[in-house]
Amino acid sequence: MGRIKKKGEAGNAKNYITRTQAVKKLQISLPDFRKLCIWKGIFPREPRNRKKASKSSTASTTFYYAKDIQFLLHEPLLQKFREQKALEKKISKALGRGDVGDASRLERNAARPEKTGKPRYTLDHVIRDRYPTFVDAVRDLDDCLSMLFLFANLPSTSTVPAKMIARCERLCLEFEHYLIVSQSLRKSFLSIKGIYYQANIQGEDVLWLVPYKFNQRVVGDVDFRIMGTFVEFYMTLLGFVNFRLYTSVGLKYPPKFDQNKDNEAAELGAFKIEGNHAATASIEPAQLTSSDSVAQPDPKTQAEVNKLIRQMKDTAVEGDKAEADPETEESVNAIDKFEPAVPGGDVLPQPSYSGSEPGSLFANCTFYLSRETPRQSLEFILRAFGCKRIGWDSVLGEGAYTTNELDPSITHHIVDRPVIQAATEEEEGGEDNQTSQKLGPNQRIPGRIYVQPQWVWDSINDEELKRPDEYAPGAQLPPHLSPFVQNTQGAYDPTLPLKDQETEGEALEDSDEEEVEEEEDDSLAVKKPRATADGMDVDASDDDEDDADDGSFGGFSEDEKSAGENDEEPDSESEELRNQQELEAELSGKPVKQTKVDSRSQKLEAKKKLAQKAKEEAEEIERAKGMLSKKKRKLFEQMQYTNNKKSAEDQKLRAKRRKLEKQKARAKA
Amino acid sequence: MGSAKPSLKRKASNIEANAAAAAKPSSPAQDSDVDDSGDENFDGLLDGVLDDDEDSEDNASEFDQSAEEYGSEDDIASEDIPTDDEDKLALTNGIHEDEDDRPNYQIEKDANGGIRYVYDEIDPVYDSDDSDAQGPVNTIGNIPLSFYDSYPHIGYDINGKKILRPATGDALDSLLDSIELPEGWTGLTDPETGKPLNLSRDELELLRRVQMKEVPEEGYDMYPDTVEWYTSQVEQFPLSAAPEPKRRFVPSKHEAKRVMKLVKAIREGRILPYKPPEEREKEQEEEEEVHYDLWADETPRPPNVMHIPAPKLAPPGYDLSYNPPPEYLPTNAEKKAWEETDPEEREKTYLPQKYDSLRRTPAYDQFVKERFERCLDLYLAPRVRKNRLNIDPTSLLPKLPRPEELRPFPTVASIEFTGHEGRVRSVAIDPSGQWLASSGDDGTVRVYGLSDGKQQWQAKLSSEDPIDVVRWRPGQDALILSAAVGEDIYLMIPSIMNPELEQASRAVLDAGFGYASNAKQQTTATGARKDPPAKWARPGSRLEDEGVLLKATVRSPIKTINWHRRGDFFCTVSPTGQRSAVAIHTLSKHLTQIPFRKLPGGAPQTASFHPSRPLFFVATQRTIRCYDLQRQELVKTVQPGCRWISSFDIHPSGDHLIAGSYDRRLLWHDLEMSIRPYKTLRFHEQAIRSVKFHPGSYPLFADCSDDGTLQIFHSKVVNDLMEGPTITPVKMLSGHRVVSKLGVTDIAWHPHHPWIASASADGTCRLWT
Repeated sequence: MGRIKKKGEAGNAKNYITRTQAVKKLQISLPDFRKLCIWKGIFPREPRNRKKASKSSTASTTFYYAKDIQFLLHEPLLQKFREQKALEKKISKALGRGDVGDASRLERNAARPEKTGKPRYTLDHVIRDRYPTFVDAVRDLDDCLSMLFLFANLPSTSTVPAKMIARCERLCLEFEHYLIVSQSLRKSFLSIKGIYYQANIQGEDVLWLVPYKFNQRVVGDVDFRIMGTFVEFYMTLLGFVNFRLYTSVGLKYPPKFDQNKDNEAAELGAFKIEGNHAATASIEPAQLTSSDSVAQPDPKTQAEVNKLIRQMKDTAVEGDKAEADPETEESVNAIDKFEPAVPGGDVLPQPSYSGSEPGSLFANCTFYLSRETPRQSLEFILRAFGCKRIGWDSVLGEGAYTTNELDPSITHHIVDRPVIQAATEEEEGGEDNQTSQKLGPNQRIPGRIYVQPQWVWDSINDEELKRPDEYAPGAQLPPHLSPFVQNTQGAYDPTLPLKDQETEGEALEDSDEEEVEEEEDDSLAVKKPRATADGMDVDASDDDEDDADDGSFGGFSEDEKSAGENDEEPDSESEELRNQQELEAELSGKPVKQTKVDSRSQKLEAKKKLAQKAKEEAEEIERAKGMLSKKKRKLFEQMQYTNNKKSAEDQKLRAKRRKLEKQKARAKA
Repeated sequence: MGSAKPSLKRKASNIEANAAAAAKPSSPAQDSDVDDSGDENFDGLLDGVLDDDEDSEDNASEFDQSAEEYGSEDDIASEDIPTDDEDKLALTNGIHEDEDDRPNYQIEKDANGGIRYVYDEIDPVYDSDDSDAQGPVNTIGNIPLSFYDSYPHIGYDINGKKILRPATGDALDSLLDSIELPEGWTGLTDPETGKPLNLSRDELELLRRVQMKEVPEEGYDMYPDTVEWYTSQVEQFPLSAAPEPKRRFVPSKHEAKRVMKLVKAIREGRILPYKPPEEREKEQEEEEEVHYDLWADETPRPPNVMHIPAPKLAPPGYDLSYNPPPEYLPTNAEKKAWEETDPEEREKTYLPQKYDSLRRTPAYDQFVKERFERCLDLYLAPRVRKNRLNIDPTSLLPKLPRPEELRPFPTVASIEFTGHEGRVRSVAIDPSGQWLASSGDDGTVRVYGLSDGKQQWQAKLSSEDPIDVVRWRPGQDALILSAAVGEDIYLMIPSIMNPELEQASRAVLDAGFGYASNAKQQTTATGARKDPPAKWARPGSRLEDEGVLLKATVRSPIKTINWHRRGDFFCTVSPTGQRSAVAIHTLSKHLTQIPFRKLPGGAPQTASFHPSRPLFFVATQRTIRCYDLQRQELVKTVQPGCRWISSFDIHPSGDHLIAGSYDRRLLWHDLEMSIRPYKTLRFHEQAIRSVKFHPGSYPLFADCSDDGTLQIFHSKVVNDLMEGPTITPVKMLSGHRVVSKLGVTDIAWHPHHPWIASASADGTCRLWT
């Protein structure tokens, strides 16, 4: 006989520990415990059996895994927390004695991260511990980036020190620089919440959200201490990640930071990226020569472009980037495409692009951003997709390729103004205008493409330059679609035409509605009496159906009978309808619409068939459900519930779209 | 100084006394008083007004006053105060000389006639240098002088003598006084003396100085040059002559210790050189920018089993776009519904919005809050791993055979076989599927043509005992029918077949006759003559003519017969037989064996051979035991869990078993899986009599019950180990009458068709097709 097992010595009772117990065991305060949990990634658990886990009370408490707390016990940070606590005690003691000098001396020793943004401790080991490999860290970068980008855009308050914000901003910009250099930004999306970006870093997709550049409103009770703890951790994390990323592409980290330029809102331009080796000289935009052929405007501007390029080559205006020449590198590093030589072999999946294609989407373009466009995001995206020459209005900050709106090298002009009228009759006068710096509000320079900002986003998401005429200033923009949605089978997809995704029943209903509408249009005068007759018919048939349903529980034979009834009814109905129409036709003196009646009956037939099929399927499912165990049946019902909900949503969307399309068609007609 | 002054004044008064002699009659009252003070040491210059020499100042001032009064009387117009001063000065000088010159002794002759110096008696004048004597002369104390108003005196001196009130001038005097202010006039009365209080020039000067806040004493230097008593100059001479001690020249150990402490602290970096705070901060900043490759030596570590990574936020959908397709925009009703629901109950935290250009897109006001909530979720939300089945729900459903697939199964009673009187107890269909044999309470065995229902053959085996069971021998090579009546087993060859087959059947039955005698001899070798388990013999000529060719008699009444698939063995069970309840008979040798000496688990009910393997199943009341015949051991015990097993059958594949019980249960066992039933079916209202699998290719089984019904089930058995058999009830066949609580007693499947025959207590058999 085995030893008698005592209660509460194994299993749930032993594996879980409440928060109060954990805090007591670690001998730290609750805020410190919170910090520790945030940094070490310890989270509460839901014990399998709450009652067994909480020994006595049934009050709802938070449970932690006991081994997690055991793990926290060995944390070196714990000692730091205790030291800090002792120091605080000393300070308060000195103040109590009235020993101000002593207190101030102690105070000087105290680390006040919430004030200075600089703790005495480092979180390096925590990061190493949480993310044993670099890929692990990249995988968990989503929240980190979203948080830091938010903090980079926050105003400094007593709880959010300015230094912390500055550091966040720097880290974010450094990260953006990496994305630009490595060309690993993949997608971006303008949402109502902010701008989503997706990058592919070492095979991991990282998705983060950047708020629009507005002052952030803080609603509700937001505890910035908690956020600050997260940010502290994330700052350290992103610092190391940046270092690793920079070194992986052969750059020096940290990049040189020009405080003056930053003060003039240069943002990305405030950094000077350097290679790890001194030999890599700064290079200028490599695709300049190729841009000539693409720009293709009149020879006059062409000549000016060339001249400007020469100038640029001399002065090396913004050849700060020290990345290796992408074209030469590509030829070596690019993945070769394997084509099957002989048919019959298996096809192996290969990465779709080798890194060069999306990265050089805008390589041949010169952009000019007008005042009202969001410069930061546009600059980042354009640079990340290969654009080297981005000019903007000087009010948008330092670091532009040109602040001259009339620069002839500009190929694309991004505007977000209502309408810009082409200065047609002033073509000649336009030349004169070049002496002045600014154009009039509604004037346009020939030889360049004017687009709205959404053009940039749609272009990069589709990996091709979209047609600019759809995105012309003042034009009705096409819908901006999220590139992150993966279309599943059967779900509604707004990119496809409606006809392709309708279910059979919907299609039938749709055409039915159409016809009803048509008929309404045709015969408004006789509509009323017919409608009443219809209503009666419908009622009658409903009753019949009910009867049939009641009877169908009895057995097969009755079911068959009811089916027969169903068969008959539509026929009679359609006949009645036909009669009605004939009568109408007689009254109005028109020929009978034979074809319509035929199509109508066909449709009715189809509809009937569909209903029959659906009914059969439902019966089949019901029968099979009967054979399931109770547990499985519940699971099945749950799944069906969610699926139905989803399909109902899709159906709603389709219905809305159908309505809209019809409205549009009517408006056209 | 103090000592010089009173004396000086006294002299002055003396002098003035002379001058005042003329004014003496003006104050007669005073004169009379002065007489009393007679003891005068002085030269008699003093008149009566001077009552006492000792009262220095008051008297003097009095004299002064009087002198002045007289003086002023003399020369009011001409004389001035300065002149008066000069006079006084001259007088005092004179007195000084006078005092110095005059010897203070008198020369007398003594008794011897010698010169004797008689010195003046020294007057220990109080006012000389005794400051204590300066106290008030009037001794009345601190009481108002007005108390003495009614008296001529104003108090008493130290000797108790009355001090007389000074004479006051008459009205004229006071008038004069008021007209001509004498020097030092204050208009006050001295409270001690009652005389007018006059102040001297010096005193006035003193008062003025005090008033002007000057130094009261003239010529006093407030800021004299400091006299450096203690200078910084080194003294020439040491205080101590002791030599310098050695320790002055040896470095201190204690100091060295403390210095070393500091040095150590500096080296360790605990003490840093002082820097202004800004500089220090800047330094710290620089220090913090430590960058290194944290993952320089990364080693992938398998994640902890208990660690659940935080789920990522869902990527944005189409409806989150700033410019979504129009169908994603909410209608007014939807918007209203969204606004009316509680923020916590909303399915989406946002409403899709459309802005026609990017510049119109506002900031998202919930941004910080959403981020904060994400933070809370990350560290505060308990994480549970939930297995989400990302499968099509229809895959959960069992693949039920469609009703069309389940067909064919017997549905209607097509043929009724009549002829028996009383109950029919047993029914069997021959392996070729042409004949149906039945037996009943009337003691007859009847054979019908299955297709036409006509009785072809019958044999009466017993007149009193019912025939409990009738079974065909399996195999097409011969057609042999076996039946059990009481303890007897009869083997028959009905005369319904063609002669060749009959011949072959006869050969099968007769083959064992030689063996039987041999076997008997062997058993007798034990010595004591023992009863053989069974006696094999010809049943008698009457029966032989009918076709009953062989009879074996065992010790107790037999209830069931079951044949081995090869047709050489059959087993019989007689529940009351105890030790010899189960017997296995070998037809080819006419041999009977009793395999179990003792069978646990109660009386055996029925027994059966495994369809393919050398296993033997015996059902006792509650269990079904499976024995390996070759190794002669128990393989397993199946426990259906019912009270009383009535019958059981083994699936043709040999892996499944069904058992029927008298407590109305039908139990399906998967022999590979468990000894417990896989499914328990309880569809009958009365005891189940018999259960049978279809022996052929149809996945059917049936049971019959005392409630007069048969139930047909469809059972799909797949070879997949993961999937259990699917049992579907398909048909309930009713039609038999229930006679005295007995319904259908036995069933038999047709070997090739989905037909089933049933025997009933109402005396009929039916074929269901």
